[in-house]
Amino acid sequence: MVSNLDLSLMTVIIRPLGMLKSYIGELKETTVEAGKSVRDTLTSLGIDPQLVAGVFVNDEQQTKDYILQDGDVVKLLAVIGGG
Amino acid sequence: MNGYGGTILRVNLTEGKITKQPTPAQLARDFIGGRGFGLYFLFKEVPKGADALGPENKLIISTGPFSGMMVPGGGKCDWTTKSPLTGGYADASMGGHFTAEMKYAGIDTIILEGISSKPVYLFIDNDKIQLLDASSLWGRNSFEVEKELKQKYGEEYQVATIGPGGENQVLYACINHDYGRQAGRGGVGAVMGSKNLKAIVLHGTGSPSVADLEGYRKAGMALYKACKDAEGLAEWSRYGTTVVTSWCDEVGALPTRNFSAGSFEQGKNIYGQTMRKEIVITDKGCFGCPSPCGKYSNMKRYNSQVEGPEYETIGMMGSNLGIGDIQAVAEANRLADDLGIDSISTGGCIGWAMECYEKGIFTKADTDGLELKFGNAEAVFALIKKIAYREGKIGALLSQGVKRAAAQVGQGTEKFAIQVKGMEQSAYATHNATAMLLAYMTCDVGAHHNRSWAITYDLQVGREKVVPEKVARVIWLQNFRPMFDVFGACRLQWVELGIDRELYVPLLEAITGIKRSWQDLEAVGNRIWNLSRMYWLRENDGFGRQWDLPAPRFYTDPPKTGVTAGQITRIEDVHKLLDMYYEQRGWDTNGIPTQQTLQTLNLTEMVA
Repeated sequence: MVSNLDLSLMTVIIRPLGMLKSYIGELKETTVEAGKSVRDTLTSLGIDPQLVAGVFVNDEQQTKDYILQDGDVVKLLAVIGGG
Repeated sequence: MNGYGGTILRVNLTEGKITKQPTPAQLARDFIGGRGFGLYFLFKEVPKGADALGPENKLIISTGPFSGMMVPGGGKCDWTTKSPLTGGYADASMGGHFTAEMKYAGIDTIILEGISSKPVYLFIDNDKIQLLDASSLWGRNSFEVEKELKQKYGEEYQVATIGPGGENQVLYACINHDYGRQAGRGGVGAVMGSKNLKAIVLHGTGSPSVADLEGYRKAGMALYKACKDAEGLAEWSRYGTTVVTSWCDEVGALPTRNFSAGSFEQGKNIYGQTMRKEIVITDKGCFGCPSPCGKYSNMKRYNSQVEGPEYETIGMMGSNLGIGDIQAVAEANRLADDLGIDSISTGGCIGWAMECYEKGIFTKADTDGLELKFGNAEAVFALIKKIAYREGKIGALLSQGVKRAAAQVGQGTEKFAIQVKGMEQSAYATHNATAMLLAYMTCDVGAHHNRSWAITYDLQVGREKVVPEKVARVIWLQNFRPMFDVFGACRLQWVELGIDRELYVPLLEAITGIKRSWQDLEAVGNRIWNLSRMYWLRENDGFGRQWDLPAPRFYTDPPKTGVTAGQITRIEDVHKLLDMYYEQRGWDTNGIPTQQTLQTLNLTEMVA
């Protein structure tokens, strides 16, 4: 119902790559509050932001301070794969 | 011999004599190739106490069984020598297309010995091998020399050359190839310059034999498919090593103002995404590479182009010098490459000099009038040129490397000379990252990152922890990672794409006909690691624990800003790390391999 839509919530797709899958699985469509950053979202998903080397939003690298937009596809590259 | 060129080429520059010998099968079994071959010949043939810039030292270039083959990243060769910078073992890995042509010319190793009486270059076209006059090339910059030699012989001829830095024997001079690939560290370019050898031009058309052609095809294709299917391939290829810049800044690992901090307030200006947007015009890969990390950049302000900068140069010539301007960093990169000096060591030396200036230890009388303040890019450009030509008081001082420079200047500057064993530390700040600190302390060429990139493990298990697991991880990486330099292949497919290392095993067997597990291969890596340690011991009186200590900054001088502000590794923990490391390695408390360890590794006879 239109009246139940919460405009402060957005849908984004979080796609962890490599070993980060062990945190949240293959692919996660999640809702986030408007104004939340990648860093906020990682923390709420239980991922230590420092273990994520690269954040790619719609294929462009961004910092973790990037404010998520509705429909964003976020790929996360782990730092713990190689060494 | 399957998988090998089959020939060791010896070039005596004093006599102008060129000889060949078959590659011994036993050597291939025991040391496999690449840096394994290099260290073997260095240990066996260069006499104890040889002057690194004298006729007795040798410069040894080696391919491996994966070089030039259908192997992702099979474009690596290894340059080994006694380092004029450190006085110990040095090897530098070089990408590009040189190693493939070397293999196709049937050569596994080139041993360059003696000193030519006049400038020459080595020309190899399959069996036609000559030393030719290089007097018209001497004194000229790297890119120009490479371009001229390619125009003379053809694009298919591969060129490796030194610049003025190598000719002037700057102790961290590098060797350039493919307009942007280097054998960078340890002063291999100075050794080449000391031999009056300006360049090598090389072309081969042969086909190395393989033991099992169908197995080779299948295993090679499986590896390429794994790379193609790897998650993160597109992202990695778009940004290359610069992908980690923002992460290093975030976790306090980005060297800033001579490693006085690990976070840079202008960091965003030099992140990979900024670089990609502002200056990158195309990607560039080495031979056989499915995931090109090279980025070719155009710097509009300077009307110049360069391959790079990659992460290490961004760290050492950007944040480490207080420069938050990606165009200026790339221009500094271009100057260092073209003049033939290692951008990592150059950044380390200039960072130290800038701190000396900011502290009032240097005045303009010491810097030939340069305003050596952090962030002054124009002063950095001028200083790079002075170093390459050993020009003026400051150029001559810094051309010796930061350890010698600090010893000469004194006044406590040794404490912020960021080096181990005389090699300037590469671009990871290690105030509070104990595994990475140990990796630098114990690296077999000095403070270099690529043997054991353990900083991610610090974040994974707790950066301040000093525990046996961290030490074990460092040792495992030191035994395993350099095996790619033995194979003649790039490690980045494993590191960055997460390719299963087991996929390399059937490929090695199909190429060479010898079945080896990773357990066997790590044992070879361990053997090589211990032999390089014995080389340091042989060449340096009093070698031991003191040589493994990090720059005092990391245990005396915590950062004042950034996420690691106030954090430091205590000296007690530095020694605890060494205690555990030596024990796990089977070395005595002074860091010397025990007789039992040498015996277990079958090295007793060789080091006797």
